[in-house]
Amino acid sequence: MVAIEAENLHKRYGDTVAVDDLSLQVGTGEVLGILGANGAGKTTTVEMIAGLRTPDHGRVRVLGLDPVRDRAQVRQVLGVQLQEATLHGALTVAELLALYRSFYPDPRPAEELLGLVGLVGRRDVRFENLSGGQQQRLSIALALAGRPRAVILDELTTGLDPRARRQMWKTIECLRDEQVTIVLVSHAMDEVERLCDRVALIDAGRVVALDTPSGLVALAGAENLDEAFVALAGKGLEDTE
Amino acid sequence: MSTAIKAGRPGPRAWLVMIGCEAKMVARDTAGLIVPIGLPLLILVMSASSASDQIVANGRTALELYVLPLVLTIVIATTGIINMPSFLAYYRRSGILRRLAVTPASPVMVLMAQVVVSVIQTVIGITAALAVASLAFDAGPPTHLATALGVFVLVMAAMYGVGLIVAAVAPTPNSAVAIGLVAFFALGALGGLFGGRDALPDALVTVGEWLPFGASVEALGAAWAGAPTEPAHLVSLGATTVVGGAVAGILFRWE
Repeated sequence: MVAIEAENLHKRYGDTVAVDDLSLQVGTGEVLGILGANGAGKTTTVEMIAGLRTPDHGRVRVLGLDPVRDRAQVRQVLGVQLQEATLHGALTVAELLALYRSFYPDPRPAEELLGLVGLVGRRDVRFENLSGGQQQRLSIALALAGRPRAVILDELTTGLDPRARRQMWKTIECLRDEQVTIVLVSHAMDEVERLCDRVALIDAGRVVALDTPSGLVALAGAENLDEAFVALAGKGLEDTE
Repeated sequence: MSTAIKAGRPGPRAWLVMIGCEAKMVARDTAGLIVPIGLPLLILVMSASSASDQIVANGRTALELYVLPLVLTIVIATTGIINMPSFLAYYRRSGILRRLAVTPASPVMVLMAQVVVSVIQTVIGITAALAVASLAFDAGPPTHLATALGVFVLVMAAMYGVGLIVAAVAPTPNSAVAIGLVAFFALGALGGLFGGRDALPDALVTVGEWLPFGASVEALGAAWAGAPTEPAHLVSLGATTVVGGAVAGILFRWE
């Protein structure tokens, strides 16, 4: 069963083509990684899937729904962690959890969310006083507040220390066990290798390869995913600068 | 999909939580409380003792007819034109509105909650000013109480109208404060913020009286004196509200 579907997406900003005829599908309960160099179009792609941007052409379906037209339904079942977004600085962790939980009819308990991202001891700290990594973990917790059936995580563990990264990986594995569909934008090859069922390699706004992590390594004739990434997605690097 | 997905919008409880969060944000922004509550009180205390001895008409003092209308207008104008837009600009710049846009909440909820909290803040400022004026300087209530209340509501709407324009055109939180201050002082200077407008050229006096700040001071003064409110002042306030809402509707961006 297909949970998330993007078909022939196009998006341009002025003269710059950000996404150029991109298609992909994510099965129910699947973890799909999205890899690509900076400026390859990853964030624009996930923002279109999340319904934050409308594609110039093409169509998106999340659990059979159009994220722009069926916004009120999609927001109930899709959790999103954005790369460039912050939260009310003067509110504490507990206050923010209460706010975001209030948006959903059957939210996950606050304790459980804190436990999932390892912030149990920080509930009375204001958002502006959390470290960067803790802010990011809270943002992930809020994306999970409504018991979503699908989750988009943009830069899951960028900036987290090794222990926090491992904790987030465990969280993703728990979600996978619950059959939650996950789209994971990442720069970390070890993370993608461990968590993702399949990986979409994006370059210059197109999917240049879509396979399992080991499939990509084999396709590129490389030793590991790092090398495969450079071999498959590095071609456009000179142009993107 | 096997199970139907229900469309859900946040219910009344979510609105209360959102308003509570906005209230905490405003209350914790200590500097932002000084201007709408502290400044009017300061002006009141500075000019009240001499103004409360000066009988102007109908046994009413200068405090009741000039100072209080001015002070109350300042409370409403600073909250609406300076504070509210700076919060909205901060929310937009920092991505808070964007983050909310991917939840069932809509950014409009934030806007409404901000207005509710601003109204509460304004009521606190007005109550404080009236309490000081009546307890310490023997000021009496407006002769036309119902008119005064009606004018209050209209002035609040008009000042939020101006504030929404500020929020719509300001690209950054800093510029929102700057534009808000300039708008506040420009409207205020023409509306009697810096004392009598007798020194201004006639044309500017007329314009000032037609702008929302001057119109508010005049209309509140009339309500206190028991004089009929001039329709021109009410039209000015109503028109500001409508124009502000329309301009913000066209220009306001969530990101």
